[in-house]
This record gives sequence, C-alpha cells and structure tokens, in this order.
Amino acid sequence: MREARAKRLVIGALVALSLLILSAPTLVVLGASFTAGNIIAFPPDGLSLKWYEKVAGASDLRQAFWRSLQVALICTIVAVPVGTLAGLALAKHRVRFSNALQVYLLLPFTIPLIGSGIGLMLLFGEAGVLGSLWPVGLAACVINLPFMIWAVTASAGALDPDLELAAASCGAPPLQTFLLVTVPAVAPGIITGSLLMFILALNEFLVSLLLVDARTVTLPVQIYNSIRSIITPDLAAISVVFIACAALAILALDRLVGLDIFLKSK
Amino acid sequence: MPLRPSRSAYPLSWRVLDALEAGARGVWPARFARGVPWLMLAPAILLVGLLAVSLFEIADASLRTLDTATFLPSEEHTLANYARAFSEPVVLAVGLRSLGGALLVTLATLILAFPYAYAMVRTPSAAWRKTLLIALFLPFFIGQVVRAYGWLILLGNQGLANEILGLAGLGPYRLLFNYWAVLFGLVQYMLPFAVLMLAPALSAIPEEVEAAAGSLGANWGRTLLHVVFPMAKPGFVGAGLVVLTLTLTDFAIPAILGGGGQDFIANAIYDQFFRTSDQGMGATLTVLLVLVGSTLVGLVFALFGAGTLSLRGRGP
Repeated sequence: MREARAKRLVIGALVALSLLILSAPTLVVLGASFTAGNIIAFPPDGLSLKWYEKVAGASDLRQAFWRSLQVALICTIVAVPVGTLAGLALAKHRVRFSNALQVYLLLPFTIPLIGSGIGLMLLFGEAGVLGSLWPVGLAACVINLPFMIWAVTASAGALDPDLELAAASCGAPPLQTFLLVTVPAVAPGIITGSLLMFILALNEFLVSLLLVDARTVTLPVQIYNSIRSIITPDLAAISVVFIACAALAILALDRLVGLDIFLKSK
Repeated sequence: MPLRPSRSAYPLSWRVLDALEAGARGVWPARFARGVPWLMLAPAILLVGLLAVSLFEIADASLRTLDTATFLPSEEHTLANYARAFSEPVVLAVGLRSLGGALLVTLATLILAFPYAYAMVRTPSAAWRKTLLIALFLPFFIGQVVRAYGWLILLGNQGLANEILGLAGLGPYRLLFNYWAVLFGLVQYMLPFAVLMLAPALSAIPEEVEAAAGSLGANWGRTLLHVVFPMAKPGFVGAGLVVLTLTLTDFAIPAILGGGGQDFIANAIYDQFFRTSDQGMGATLTVLLVLVGSTLVGLVFALFGAGTLSLRGRGP
C-alpha cells in the first residue's frame, strides 16, 4: 500500500498548491479591504470599515457598479430566450448543416475577445450607438452566448422525448407542450446558463473597455483605470462587491441546480 | 342549465394559452413545421451575425493605411499594412512572446488541472468535492481585474510574499512587472477553465477500469499513462485548446501584471487603436491574430476532434 500513499501524497500536494494559487488573490483583497491604514497592505494595519464607508460615499464607484448591473441584466434578458431556443433546437432536432452551424455558433469563442471587441466597436461606432449602455450588454451577450447554449443542450440530454409525445397525445397543442413540458424539463440548464451569463457580464472587462466612454464606464473598467494610477484601499473595498456577487451566484447555483452538474459527463 | 360551463368560466391561464396558441398558428402555420428548428435558431444566428459582420469591418479597416497628413484612413485599399506587420521586428517579438507564453501557460495549467480534477471527481467525500468546486468557481466568477489586483497587493515590494521571503533573510525581490508574473497570473486565471473542461471527461472513466489495470499489475504511473490519459483525451483537448487560445489573446493580465513592458498581441492591438491611433495597423494585427487563433483551433480539431467543446448534447 506504499504506492497508494505516494499517489495520495502527490495528488494532495498538487491540489493544495492549486487551492493556494486559486484562493490567494481573493483572500488578500478581502483582508486588505479592512485595513485601518491609508496604504494598501496585507496583512492589514489594524481593522476598520472606513474604506467601505468611503466607497459607499463615492458616487463614481456607485454609478459604475449600477452600470455594470444594468449591463449584466441586459445581457441575461437577451441571452435566456435566444440561448434556450437555440440550445433546444440543436439538442432535439436533426438540423441540416449542423456541423457548419456549430462552427458558426462557436464563433464568439473562436474569435479572440480583442477581435470581437474591436469589431463590435467599429460596427456600433458606424451605427452611432456607442455611448449608451445597451450595446455593452448586447456585446457581453454575444461573446458569452455559447455558454448559454451549452448549458441548455447539456440538460436537454436528460429530457425524455416521450414526455413531449405524452403531452401531445393528451391533447396539448405544440406551444403549450413547449411552454409547460419542454422548458420546465430543461430548467436546470436555463438557470445555470442565466447565472453564468449574468456573472460573466457583470465582470466583463475587455469588451467593455473598448465600448464604453467616460460617461458609461463599468465597474471593472473603473477599477482597471484606477490601479494604473494609484492603488488605494477603497479599490479593495469595492472589489469585495464582486467577491460578494460571486459568492451569491455560487450559492444560488448550488441551491437551485447543485454544483455537481459541472462534473457530469455529457 | 348547460352541462358544460361557458368558455368564459375557463381559468385565465387556459384562455391566455389558447390565445397564444392561436397567435402562433397565425404567424407560423403548422405546414411550416419543418422550419421550426430554424425559427428557434434564428435569433442566435442573428446575434452571432453581429460578430460575423464585424469581422468584415475589421478586414476592411485593415486594408486602409493611415494618412499621416490628415490622420484619416485612406480611401483606397492596399496591402501595405500587412507588408509593414511582417517586416516590423516588434510585431514578431510580441507575437513570439504571446505564443511562447501561451504554450508554457497551457502546459503548466494542465499539469495543475489534472490532479485537481482527478481529486474532485474521485473523492468519496461530498463535502470535500463541494469545497474544491467552490474554490474553483469563486475566482472564476470574480473576474480578471480583481484577481490581478489581488496579485498586485500580494506580490508587491512590500507585499506578503516579500515579507515571508524577508523572514527567511531573502529579498526583497521585484516579483511584479516581469514575464513570469504575467505567466503566473495567466495560469491562475486559466486553472478553473481547464479543470471544468477536464472534470466531465474524467468522471466518464469508471473507477473500476483503474482498479482493473492495477489488479493486472500496472502501477499507478502506468495506469495513468496507458489508461486514464488516453480515455480522458477529449477533456485534455478541450481544456488545452481553451487555455491556449484564451492565453494567446489575453489583455488584462499582461497589461496589469506586466506593467506595460510585457505586452501580448492584444495589448499591441489596443495600443495601435488608442495610442498610435493607427486603426488600419490595429485591424491588420487583429486579422492576423484571428487567423493564427483559428488555424490553431482548426489544427487541433483536425488532429484530435472537437473533444468536449461540441455544442451538441450527445455525440455526433
């Protein structure tokens, strides 16, 4: 059994290293946000909530956060119906040209983000809509759309086609079958997808950086602009907002569908 | 008294559904049923179409040079930007730095991701599995900028890392704003992606297969090499591809942890647009990056198949 112990030791050590690497920045930001000192430091110089107070009073940060929330909402509202319909169509129906279609629908992942961002910037610029928030939300939706389609197709595998036939043979017309049988059956996928879309749009950085102007900066862009000048502890406090949102999203995901679905093989 | 209640006595939800149904029939009669899948796909095709159209915009911009007299893109199309991109040593240097970095990061990430995914899938303890999943999702959901900010605090000259080294009588070292800081930050950024791509492939391998290999006399190393790795290949392909392309094209980590001296291609493109204001050159570099990225993806797909990246629920 020496070998089994050695195996456990090697895997354990590598997992511990990964855990450390994964969690260190989050813990450090959390810790630094409670500092009582005036410069950013970890471990903090004494504990206080003064930087939270400062953040709560800073209207530019509050507004940036509010804009990020709007972007995330727009992205999710567009992505849920679009991704659900597309995912169900791909999973349930034999569509012609499905290989080409797959390559096309994966474009948001295969085109580098900087490419998508620059392209949409040129496109929206020509259309004269840069400077409002909805193009940013729409862009966040386009670049992450495969996540939504993925989530739905993955849970459509669990959808028994007999259920829809049963509904039809009980006299349910097509739309009713779709709304009352098909959609609830893939609800775990829809929930997972919409949470992913929301949180990814909330954190979206590069494409927002290209699409926003001084009046429409979102929070990640605001933080990025600030760390390039001086790093003050109020940035740590506002970053904690993101950590809290991430924690809430994980909690919701775990409660509603269970985190384990990410481990299931297709 | 009538046997059946009148229609108006039906519950409201029935009437709403009936109205919707009639509306749907009016807009899309039943004889179009074969087109329904395409109708369902249409919004997604249109949305992604925005990207497809924007690619043409970029290609068009890349064919116009910057007129240094007016600072406007030229009217006529020329390949001059491409000729310049291929002859400038800076472009080559940045390209090689990104590509080399992407390969190193992919290797390091896969080495760390495999044991993590393996432990997560194989552990008998549900609580431990959940802990590993949460530790994975938390950074994934926090975003690059905040994570890079955490590294700035931790690895700075007065940061925790240098203080610990100081206790051992070492340093202080300049841990930030160099190539290795960028690569380290990228590994941390990519690890959740890689583990999440790898884990489903590993959970598809029954534990009995490993036990069988063991009982036939294979030690753990040989079981991994000859049984687990080949069976997990789709996962490795998916994870490796995602990490490689995302690293190659990343912007935030090189910008923040590289301190301006360790630009990747995306940073060079950004600078062309917003510092030099040479839109044509920036678009040219974007086109080249898209071409290199798609070639890599196509190459890996041709060699190994689409792996776990397939959008369809079940196999083809």
